[in-house]
Amino acid sequence: MTQAPKQPNPEFAKKVVEAGGKTLNLCFQCGTCTGSCPSGRQTAFRTRKLVRRAQLGLKDDIMNNEDLWLCTTCYTCYERCPRGVEIVDVIMALRNMSVKEGHMAPQHKKVAELISKTGHMVNLRDEDKALRKKLGLAEVPPTVLEVVEGLEQVKKICAATGFDKLIEGGSK
Amino acid sequence: MEASPETKQPEKEVIGVFVCHCGTNIGGVVNCEKVAEIASQIPGVVVSKDLKYACSDLGQEEIRKAIKEKGLNRVVVASCSPRLHEYTFKNCVEGAGLNPYFMHMVNLREQCSWVHMKEPELATGKAANLVKMGIERSRLSTALSPREVTVEPSCLIIGGGIAGIQAALDIGDKGFKTYLVEKEPSIGGHMAQLDKTFPTGDCAICILAPKMVEVARNKNVEMLSYSEVVDIQGYVGNFTVKIRKKPRYVMEEKCVGCGVCAEKCPVKVPNEFDMGFGSRKAIYVPFPQAVPLKYTIDRENCLHFKTGKCQLCVKACVNEAIDHKQEPEEIELKVGTVIVATGFDVYTPTRKGVYRYWEYKNVITALELERLINAAGPTGGHLVRPSDGVEPQRIAFIQCVGSRNLKIANKYCSRVCCMYAMKNSQIIMEHSPDAEIAIYYNDIRAFGKGFEELYHRVREDYGIEFIRGRPAKLTKDPVTENITIRAEETLLAKITEREFDLVVLSVGLIPNPGTAPVQKMLSLPVSDDGFLAESHPKLRPVETAIEGVFICGCAQGPKDIPDSVAQAKAAASAASTLMIKGKHIVEPLYANVNEELCVGCGLCAELCPYHAIEIAEKDGQSKAVVTEALCHGCGTCAAGCPQHAINQLQFTDQQLMNELTAALAAKNSAGGE
Repeated sequence: MTQAPKQPNPEFAKKVVEAGGKTLNLCFQCGTCTGSCPSGRQTAFRTRKLVRRAQLGLKDDIMNNEDLWLCTTCYTCYERCPRGVEIVDVIMALRNMSVKEGHMAPQHKKVAELISKTGHMVNLRDEDKALRKKLGLAEVPPTVLEVVEGLEQVKKICAATGFDKLIEGGSK
Repeated sequence: MEASPETKQPEKEVIGVFVCHCGTNIGGVVNCEKVAEIASQIPGVVVSKDLKYACSDLGQEEIRKAIKEKGLNRVVVASCSPRLHEYTFKNCVEGAGLNPYFMHMVNLREQCSWVHMKEPELATGKAANLVKMGIERSRLSTALSPREVTVEPSCLIIGGGIAGIQAALDIGDKGFKTYLVEKEPSIGGHMAQLDKTFPTGDCAICILAPKMVEVARNKNVEMLSYSEVVDIQGYVGNFTVKIRKKPRYVMEEKCVGCGVCAEKCPVKVPNEFDMGFGSRKAIYVPFPQAVPLKYTIDRENCLHFKTGKCQLCVKACVNEAIDHKQEPEEIELKVGTVIVATGFDVYTPTRKGVYRYWEYKNVITALELERLINAAGPTGGHLVRPSDGVEPQRIAFIQCVGSRNLKIANKYCSRVCCMYAMKNSQIIMEHSPDAEIAIYYNDIRAFGKGFEELYHRVREDYGIEFIRGRPAKLTKDPVTENITIRAEETLLAKITEREFDLVVLSVGLIPNPGTAPVQKMLSLPVSDDGFLAESHPKLRPVETAIEGVFICGCAQGPKDIPDSVAQAKAAASAASTLMIKGKHIVEPLYANVNEELCVGCGLCAELCPYHAIEIAEKDGQSKAVVTEALCHGCGTCAAGCPQHAINQLQFTDQQLMNELTAALAAKNSAGGE
């Protein structure tokens, strides 16, 4: 049984290089990165394969793949790579491209939505207010929760920078 | 013969211009007829033609005919790079009775048509301008004659490894006096340390030792072991070399190599020849087959030098060969040619990385392994691991350690590690058929004669496991001192952790530290990998930028024994060519000092990268003096001279100004394009 060949896309590979993965093509697939990866110990993430897909420009395999989000950016691979591939930079470039195409991970999407709607990643719960009071602090911290017109400004920034659109599903 | 740059302007220039199509190389882009037409209108040009192939017999005949018929005294050939055909056209005009230095080449191929393939019109304009510049420059050409230097029929070979030994044998056999200088107590180099050689499995010392003996016996070869080159002056054919003979504290002419002294010597130190695993005495020969078989006292460790007492060796030596008062000796040689064969060193994996060579006893380098499996080594060829002296059963090799690594700037492939790992695997399996061997590799390079067969043999007959993947981490079991290798086996995309008794790092080759001082003495260029640079990577593989100096073996770059021997023979042949001729023609492209303008400030001498200029007293005044045979015509001094007292023949200031003026005039007339 054979699989239909995946079509390499050099244009996409070029875009990865431009987006910050400039050392991408130095990789010779030795696997030092995979062997060094603490995430790969627990998951199916194979750093080397991600880099290979980027070199070939196998866009669909990268963009829709959960692997892209399994890197913890600990930089161990980056440090050990004998070829000087700035692997974390490659992954960050891929992530940015992926998000722009509308592939934001659900968890990230939730967090981003909270920021654009409330100005906070984490909601202020009643328990938190009580705790703050107990510690002698104001119930509400001096953020957009206190300065209500600040929230409008946060929303404006999110709209002006296109952050809203990213959350909705890509910037194109 | 003397160079005779003429200062006076010769009679009116009668110029011929020949624009070459080079088939379609130039003609396919540049409109050569038009360029010839434009050139024909320049004052002084009496012939201007385009030729299909100027370098062909027909083309050359056209040029010669024009010289004779029109009485040309300047010829401008607009064709390819002078590197390709300068000599062709020089010979051509000389054949027609014109001094070859009246021929000037303009490069329309590499510098025009090849780089402007898509803009034929602009390329044609540029070609016309380049030709105009060439014409203006050629107006100031002068008749020059090459200088001849005699070549001393003797050769200095630096480095007594297999490359140096082979070169010495070849040159000595041709009947030329040869000096073979080796800094260690014995010749033999790294090859003497190896167990067997790939791919055939010949015992290294068994095939090397006869050559070592042969070179020592060759009546034309003077072996200077335990000696170092301290200074080299001069130029092709005429080098003066200073050599320092280090004191052995044993008189070579009296020592018979019996070894009684070493038996009596009470001092034991680690033997560097055995990579520190075995021991030797303070009076020693590095290995039994040493040539010359003369003992040497290691001053650092000798009790007599430390305490002023002992002298057990002196009492033991019946030939009274030992002399603790020996002094270093300096000798001076005159040689015509030099061959640099200073070899390599192995990469020491201590600078960076996760293989913990400096920490884990059971992680060793391949050269250490060579000594541990060598029948003449410290264990008699019985492989044991350093931590407990037990024979290892599970052995891993890690390839590309210190090679192909951009982080430590050793970008190159060391070319021997794949094969030595296979060769050593085979040797281990022959001794211990139950051993399990894994080779962690990135790419296998089995490119030489018989290499693929060895690759096949170790997999098929010995079951060596090849794992594609570079280990990410090595950890040591605190009790057993076994090593666990964690790696991605990339062909399976699986991360594995495997335990081994012994791990061998296949370390790459780096330039020998002994090369640098020699390189500086001779002003030899270095490639970006740190090894000595050859003149041309394909066509001048043993020549260097310094005439009369040749390179061979691993001093030029990592290579195996067959390649080192072949290169040594090539270097010997190239050096012999010079010595057989007995003379050498030096191009008259050197710097010419106008002594009236020179104030002897010495800036030029400092700037010269080839040590070709000296400041000497002349009639009570300091003046710059150029050693013409050393000068490469680079022009650094001429550009640097604050007095404008130095002219680079063929590149005089006035010539360059003429060229520049023509270029700027062309630019102005083209509307500033």
